[in-house]
Amino acid sequence: MMQETADRKWFDDLVLELRLRQVHGSAIGDAVASARELLGDTGQRAEDAFGPARDYAAALDLPAAPAHHWVRTALWPALLGLLAFLLFNQAVMAWVRSETMLISPAQLALLALPVVLIAFLPLYLTAVIRRLWVLACLAAVCAAAGLLSAIVAPTEQADAWLAIEPLPWVVGTAVVMVALSVRNTVISRRPGQDDDIADPLSAAEATGGVGAKVGVVIANWLFPLFALAMLGLARTLS
Amino acid sequence: MDVSSSPPQPPDGAEWPSDWLRATLGFFALRALQAGPSYGYAIISELEQHGFGVIKGGTLYPLLTRYETAGLVSTEWKAGVNGPGRKYFALTPLGRTELSRLSADWLRFTHLSTHYLDPERQTKESTT
Repeated sequence: MMQETADRKWFDDLVLELRLRQVHGSAIGDAVASARELLGDTGQRAEDAFGPARDYAAALDLPAAPAHHWVRTALWPALLGLLAFLLFNQAVMAWVRSETMLISPAQLALLALPVVLIAFLPLYLTAVIRRLWVLACLAAVCAAAGLLSAIVAPTEQADAWLAIEPLPWVVGTAVVMVALSVRNTVISRRPGQDDDIADPLSAAEATGGVGAKVGVVIANWLFPLFALAMLGLARTLS
Repeated sequence: MDVSSSPPQPPDGAEWPSDWLRATLGFFALRALQAGPSYGYAIISELEQHGFGVIKGGTLYPLLTRYETAGLVSTEWKAGVNGPGRKYFALTPLGRTELSRLSADWLRFTHLSTHYLDPERQTKESTT
């Protein structure tokens, strides 16, 4: 039982390390299946047979995608979605209350903070994934920035740096969020475009199944879903 | 590749120096595939039977992966009849050529080393 748990942890670590190295899902599936095959033959513990997962992943030296491929294909669209979502949140409350959207410099800086933190994610992604407290700090800073931006939002036009009509921003950011979700959904449904870990023998997705597919769809539509929730909340509060 | 007599063992039941194995394991692994396609555990067993000690999966698989990338071996997954599926490694024509080249080079090197280390030759040298 302890061996199973230790081996499961080792395989989780191996997959994580190979993902961090931008190795394609099919190659990860192959490496995992090869390791399982040998452990099945020898009865050894994964750590005893292959050493630490991080060292083994490095030693395999599997072909990887270009270093910043995911930044262009995943991070920048996600960042644009986040920016649209944050702006939508600022505009929707003013629109529901039929007020002008008022923005102060402090508010704008606080809104920009999560965007900047996410934009620089490639520089510290490994630390975020390997150390849970770094991820917790990142989430806390982003949440605090969002909360503070609501607190420092000007209530009087005289205190505002910008006073703008909210409807175009509500519509524009909603269009951006929906367009990005449609794009992500189309890409994720395109054959051969997925990067799921596949069993080399059955060619079936080891992490696939209906649950995983639903999870991908929900992830693709996360910002529009949250935006709808914010719209509902704004209408309730107004 | 049956062993007709027991292979030479390291002195005092110790293992061969890891540096020696590091230098030779590559073409030993290719040699283990000379008779035909084989899988990880069978390759490890083959090398163990021939007196090279137990090679860890963490050493063998990265080596075979590098050889696959270099085109020296090809791989194929085959479903097991009663057991698990296995990944079979096979020598490619390039791998066979490389094995022949490395084997010939190694034999020349060991001949040279043996000649250099020969105690009789050393004695002759010291007396002249």
